[in-house]
Amino acid sequence: MIAQAIGGNLDYAVMLGYFVVVLGFGLYFGRYTSSTKDFFFGGQRFSWWLIAFSCVATVVGSYSFIKYSAAGFSYGICSTQSYLNDWFWMPILVLVWIPIIYYRKIQSVPEYLEIRFDKKTRVAATLIILFYIVGYIGINLITLGRTLHTLLGWEVMTGAIVTAVAVALYVYIGGQTAVIMTDLLQGIILLVAGLGLFAAAIYHFGGFGNFWALLPTEHKYAFSDFSAPPKFSFIGIYVQDGLANTGALMLMHQGFIMRFLSLKSVKDSRRMVVCWILVLAPLAAIATSCGGWIARALVNNGELETNAADSFVKAADFLCAPGVFGFVLAALTAALMSTADSLINAVSAIFVNDIWRPYIKPKSSDKHYLRVARIASLVAAGLGLALVPVFMKDTIYGAHSMFTAAVTPPVLVAIFLGITWKRYTPTAAFVTIVGGAVLIGLSFVWPDALVGPFDFGMGPDSYKFMRALFGLLAAGALGISVTWFTKPRSEEELKGLVAGTQTDAMRQFKGGEPNRRSGSKVRLRTKLDPNLSGEDLVILPQSAMDEMAAEPGDLLYASHTRWWYGGLRSVHVKAGLPGDTEDSGSMRISPQDAATAHFTEGQEVVVEKIM
Amino acid sequence: MNMLRVWPIVCEFGVGALLCLVGIWCGLRGGYLDLKIAEDRRLLAILVAGFLFVLAIVCVFTFLAPGWASGEPL
Repeated sequence: MIAQAIGGNLDYAVMLGYFVVVLGFGLYFGRYTSSTKDFFFGGQRFSWWLIAFSCVATVVGSYSFIKYSAAGFSYGICSTQSYLNDWFWMPILVLVWIPIIYYRKIQSVPEYLEIRFDKKTRVAATLIILFYIVGYIGINLITLGRTLHTLLGWEVMTGAIVTAVAVALYVYIGGQTAVIMTDLLQGIILLVAGLGLFAAAIYHFGGFGNFWALLPTEHKYAFSDFSAPPKFSFIGIYVQDGLANTGALMLMHQGFIMRFLSLKSVKDSRRMVVCWILVLAPLAAIATSCGGWIARALVNNGELETNAADSFVKAADFLCAPGVFGFVLAALTAALMSTADSLINAVSAIFVNDIWRPYIKPKSSDKHYLRVARIASLVAAGLGLALVPVFMKDTIYGAHSMFTAAVTPPVLVAIFLGITWKRYTPTAAFVTIVGGAVLIGLSFVWPDALVGPFDFGMGPDSYKFMRALFGLLAAGALGISVTWFTKPRSEEELKGLVAGTQTDAMRQFKGGEPNRRSGSKVRLRTKLDPNLSGEDLVILPQSAMDEMAAEPGDLLYASHTRWWYGGLRSVHVKAGLPGDTEDSGSMRISPQDAATAHFTEGQEVVVEKIM
Repeated sequence: MNMLRVWPIVCEFGVGALLCLVGIWCGLRGGYLDLKIAEDRRLLAILVAGFLFVLAIVCVFTFLAPGWASGEPL
């Protein structure tokens, strides 16, 4: 890393200003949080586009800019490989996993594992997932600590502490709503900054052709060689990132699960995932990697001297005017905060839902759990900080890859088999998680004997990646073999929990037969009716019901007419029996539901049928 | 053809296709993905189109783009 601080006072002022704005933004949205449902799931009311942006901000960690730019500098455009793996998980995500967790109202992965399998599987998974998320927080904090060390000359730990305090503060107050709203802002900023830097570079070189010509030929391939070099081979990146890490992000990352559950409907999850994976993630891949490509082109053009680790910051400093460089640094900060906030909120959710509520203080008030959740947020940030010295010994890429390859496979395999295979048994799930974790632990003691056979001839340098393949195969083999000798749960017990029973989950969610006929949205004016208090019902005119293809008892969603609120002012209700013609053009709603959605008497709202 | 460049594509999109098929099959089982509903048919089309789109991008940056150089048409 470079030893002295770079950037000017204007850059630092821009970065500081950004820090304050995000903090204020997060604290402002704290007023929308009054229950644990709000704190963990943002009230389940948000639109797909808002969640898509926030997912990108979450998936792009602060380590992403440094890690992928360093890889881009050393190996070229194959640094984007990690972002090309997501699409293949999409069918399982939108057709199986999201419908199951959303319709069964499952709040965490451990909770799913208990309902699908048993309590001991839940406990084992809770410990591993907590370790995974807290470790992730540590990796994010150390990255920004190192970046601030480069920029300002601060000690790594000082930078990590300052950031951890800021993030923990707005999560403490605002919960998931603050996380989603700040992530929207941060997602936009990191995309604009990264893509802006790429555009500035193309302009500097006089066109894409000139930039492309400055890259070595071996840097112009989408993938690196199948099994070379050992520290960045295709197969190593694929098994560690494409299978273990991406699978973990989609299926076991509590932060993403909470984000999916914040959507107003499962239907919105389809749009959200398409927008996130097919549009925003590729843009993010370019935004995070381009610093390395640009630095390589500048070096080859004789305009810059740098190493891989500093390539992003050096390229940005070279291309940007004072103040603009500060904006790019703000994007780095945005990437860190937007990932760490989700993780901190996720630890808090698992602690409350999987440890405190079931084992330590059951049947307490929601207010009590909300207070515990807030305190757990602060503790999670503290635990992440405690791990910073542990990760200091490795490169960012190495630390991140080693960590995800070692921790994620057993739980990922248990979830994957759990949702796709009815025959998979509770005993097998427990053995998958515990036995898989033990075998992976042993692979650190005897790496040559256990990981060596899966290294495709690359040797020990590849073990931190190839350990993921060993872990996935070992956990999978344990799970499948134990399943054949143990008794599965009955079909009745598995309704709504495995593939093939998603429609049962829909029925359980609605409390009746789902209405999947397509209809249109309608615009109506609110009319407060105290007689509807406590029923979550709305009374609509028959014409509106016909337009929506809705029937009494159907689930509806009423929201503010301004789409850009993204569902912040909205409420889920049930359709009552249609009203008389006098009420044509109005929706009768209880004062409580109107208050939840921040609706006023006579306000025009948009109503749509959910199911 | 340099097979060291081809095997990654075969592996990525071969295993990827299996994952996609597992997901779609799991959706079709039990009727959650109902091809009689236009919205579900559209989703299936998007899933296939997205797969082919990513494959096309990777093929361009494996078989065509590395040969592009300054002055040549992109």
